[in-house]
Amino acid sequence: MRALLIAALAAALPALAASIQVTAKDARGAPVENAAVWAVARLAPPPRWRREAAVEQKDKQFRPMVTVIQTHTMVRFPNRDDVRHHVYSFSAPKPFEIKLYAGTPVAPILFDNPGEVVLGCNIHDSMLGWIYGVDTPLKTGADGTARIDELPAGDYELQAWQYAQSAKPAPRPVKLRAGESFAAEFTVALKALPPRPASR
Amino acid sequence: MTPRRIRPTRLQDRIVVFFVVLLMAVQLVSFYFIRYAIEHTAQNTMREELRVGARVFRRILEQNSRQLVGATSVLTYDFGFREAIATRDRPTILSALRNHAARITASGMSVIGLDDIVVADTIDESNAGKPYPFPDLIERAATLGRTAGVRVIEGRSYQIIVVPVLAPLPIAWVSMSFVIDDATARDLQRLATSEVTFVQSIGGEPRILATTLPPSRRGALVSAANRIIATARDGATVRLAGEDYEVLATPLEGTGSLPLYAILQRSSADGLAAYLLLEAIMLIIAGLSLAVTLAGAMRIARRITRPVARLGAAATEIEKGNYAVRVGSETSDEIGELGRAFDRMAAGLAERDNMRDILGKVASNEVVTRLLEGGDIELGGEERDVTVMFTDIRNFTALVEKLTPDQSLQLLNQFLTVISEVIESAGGVVDKYLGDGVMALFGAPVTRPDDAQRALNCALEIRDRVAALGPVLAARGLPHPQVGIGINTSRVIAGNIGSPSRLNYTVLGDGVNLASRLEGLTKRYQVPIVTGFTTREGAGGIACRELDKVRVKGKTVAERIFEPLGPEGTLTRGEEAHLAQWHEALEMFRQRRWDATAASLKALSTLPGYERLVAIYLGYIRDLVANPPGDDWDAAFTLYEK
Repeated sequence: MRALLIAALAAALPALAASIQVTAKDARGAPVENAAVWAVARLAPPPRWRREAAVEQKDKQFRPMVTVIQTHTMVRFPNRDDVRHHVYSFSAPKPFEIKLYAGTPVAPILFDNPGEVVLGCNIHDSMLGWIYGVDTPLKTGADGTARIDELPAGDYELQAWQYAQSAKPAPRPVKLRAGESFAAEFTVALKALPPRPASR
Repeated sequence: MTPRRIRPTRLQDRIVVFFVVLLMAVQLVSFYFIRYAIEHTAQNTMREELRVGARVFRRILEQNSRQLVGATSVLTYDFGFREAIATRDRPTILSALRNHAARITASGMSVIGLDDIVVADTIDESNAGKPYPFPDLIERAATLGRTAGVRVIEGRSYQIIVVPVLAPLPIAWVSMSFVIDDATARDLQRLATSEVTFVQSIGGEPRILATTLPPSRRGALVSAANRIIATARDGATVRLAGEDYEVLATPLEGTGSLPLYAILQRSSADGLAAYLLLEAIMLIIAGLSLAVTLAGAMRIARRITRPVARLGAAATEIEKGNYAVRVGSETSDEIGELGRAFDRMAAGLAERDNMRDILGKVASNEVVTRLLEGGDIELGGEERDVTVMFTDIRNFTALVEKLTPDQSLQLLNQFLTVISEVIESAGGVVDKYLGDGVMALFGAPVTRPDDAQRALNCALEIRDRVAALGPVLAARGLPHPQVGIGINTSRVIAGNIGSPSRLNYTVLGDGVNLASRLEGLTKRYQVPIVTGFTTREGAGGIACRELDKVRVKGKTVAERIFEPLGPEGTLTRGEEAHLAQWHEALEMFRQRRWDATAASLKALSTLPGYERLVAIYLGYIRDLVANPPGDDWDAAFTLYEK
C-alpha cells in the first residue's frame, strides 16, 4: 500500500525530453501517499484534450479515494455495490448530484474547473472521496516516488496537493534542460481529517 | 397552720417535685439527643439527597446535551439543508435555519463558515459577517466532531450545540442554542427534587440566570452565592433570610472558563418536616408521661404522707393519753402495715395503761409486770383459791412509845419494808397496809401451783427476819419485836372493789376473815404464825405443830389450826420428839382422856414454846372435867371475839 500515486503532468514535447523525480514526505519525513504533483509550464499554454476517468463505488467506498484529473475530464461514477448511491458534491469547482442510481449512470460528469472536489454520498455518510482537477496534462506514476517523464526542456512550476494537507505546499520553480533528470522533494504538512461516521 | 401539718405537705411536694424534675431532666436530655440525631440525620439525608440530585441533575444536563447534539447532527445531515448552506445564499440559509430550529424547538440557530465568521444567525441577524463569539466551541467540534456547551448571551444562559455541516467534509458549522430559563430550571427541579438556580459569577458579582425560586427569595441567594460556590461543592448548610437551607453548588459542564454554576437548595425545614410528626408524637408522649408521673407521684406521695400525717396526729393523741385513737389503715403495703402496727401498739398501750392504772394500786411490781406480760388477765370479779396472809407487829405500841412520831413512822416503815420485800420475793402481792400490819395475797391475781407453800415459807422468813431485827432494836433500847402472822387458804372473790375513780384490787370472803382471825390467834397461843388446815395441806415439806381446833362463830365446822415451825429436817431430834409427844397429848385430849392428857402436858410444860399451849389445854381439861362435854363435843374451841 505504499503505492505513491503520482499525477505527473507536463507540457510535453516528444523530443528532447527531460524527467522529474518527485518524493512527497510529511513533516516527519514519512512518505505521503495520495499526493498529486504536477509541473506547469510557465510560458506555453496547457494543451487541452478530452480524457475520461471513472470513480467506482464499491463496498460503500469511493475507489480510488483520490482521483487526479485534468480539467475537462468526463468522470463516470459506476456503482458496483448492490445498493444505490446518491453521489454529490457541494465543492465549488463542481457541485453535482447523481440521485439514487444503480449501475453506471448514463451521463458522465464533466469536471471543467480545476480544484478540489469532495465527493460524498447522501445515503452513506461514511463515504468520502476526492477528485482533484488540474489544468496541465498529466502523467500517472505507478510506484513509491513519482516520476514525470518526457517533459520538454523549459521553465516549470512544480505544484503538489494532498487531500489532508493543512496548507498548500509552496510551488517550486524548475528549469529543465533537455535530457536532464531533476529530483524534487515536497514536504506536505498533514492535518487530521474531521471524525467520520463509520461505514454502515 | 401548725408546723406539724406543714411538714407532710412539704414531703409530698418534695416527692412530686423530685420525680417530675427527674423525669423532665431525663426527657430533656433524651429530647436533646433525639433532636440532635434527627437534625443530624435530616441534614445528612438532605445533603445526600442533594448530592444524588446533583448527580441526577448533571446527568440530565449531559443527556439533554447529547440528545440535542444528536438531534442537531441529524438536522445538519439533511440534504436539503446542506444544499441550502451550499447555496451561500443568506436569506435561503436563514430561512432554512429558522425552519430547522423550529423542528427541534431550539431557541436559535446559526451557520458559521469554516473561517469562524457567522453566515447567518436567527437570534440576531446582524451577527452575520461577524466572528462567531465562541470559537472554542468550534475548535472542540473540529476535534470531536460535535460539541456542546453552556454560554451566556445577553444575560441568558444557553446550551449551545456546535456540529459541522458535512458534505461529506465540513463545509460550515451549525450552532444550535437552547435557552436555559426558569422553565428549564423547573423541569430540572422535578427530577432533582430541589430548587435549582443557575448562577453566573463574574468578577465576584453573582447573577441569577434562571431559577425556580420565587423572586422574594432570590436576593438572599444572590448575596450568598459566592460563599455557596466557594464552600458548598459537596453540600453545606447556609442561612438565607432567616431560614436554613441545604445547598450544593455544582459547576456546569461545558462552560469552559465561564463561572457558571447550578445551585441546588432545599429548605432544612422541609427535610425536617418528615420528623415533625415524630417530634410531635414524642412531645405528646413526653407530656402524657409527665402528667402520669405527676399524678402518680402525687398519689404515691399522698399515700405516704397522709398515713404519716395520720400517724403523727395519732401519736400526738397517744402522747396526750388518748389511747383510743386508731389509724385504721386499709392498704396492704408497708405503710398500711405500719398503720396496723401503730394501731396494735395503741391497743397494747391502752391495755397496758389500763392494767398499770389498776394494778399499780394493788399489786407489787413483780406481779404487775407479770400481769402486763401475761396480758390477758380478767380483772373483773372472779372466784379463785387464794392464800391470804395477815401480819401484825404485835407490840408496836410498846415499841414506839419512847419514840417521836417521826421515828415511829420510820421504824414502822422499816418493818413494812422488810415484810413487803419478803412477800414480793416470795411471789406474793401486798394487798394493803393495815396500820402496822400487812395484808398479802398468794394466788391472786396470778395463780401459782405452790401458792400455799410460798405463803408458809414467806411467813417463816418474816418471822426470822423480824426476829433478826431484835438485836438492832435492843441496841437502841427498844424491846424485842414480835410479829403475828395469820395464813389461810380458801376460795375467795377477787376483783376490783371501789368506785370507778378509785379502784382497789382485793379479795373478799370468809377465808379472808379467817386469816385475819388466825393472825389474832397468835396472841392467844403466843406463837408467831397460825395457819389454817387448807394451807397446811397445800404446803408440803414444812413441819407444823397443830395448835387447836377452832370454830368461828356462826360456823358449824371447826378448823384445825397449825403453827409452821420450819422446813422439814430443820428441827432438832429433841424438838421432833417433843412435837410428837405434843401431838400424842393432843390426840389423847380429843379422845377425852383428860388425866393422861394432863400428865403428858405436864411433861411438856417446861419446854420452850409449850408453856402457853400446856396452860391453855390444862385450862380446857379443868373446864371439861368440871363440865363434862356432850356426845357432840368435837374438841373445838369456839372463837367469840374478833
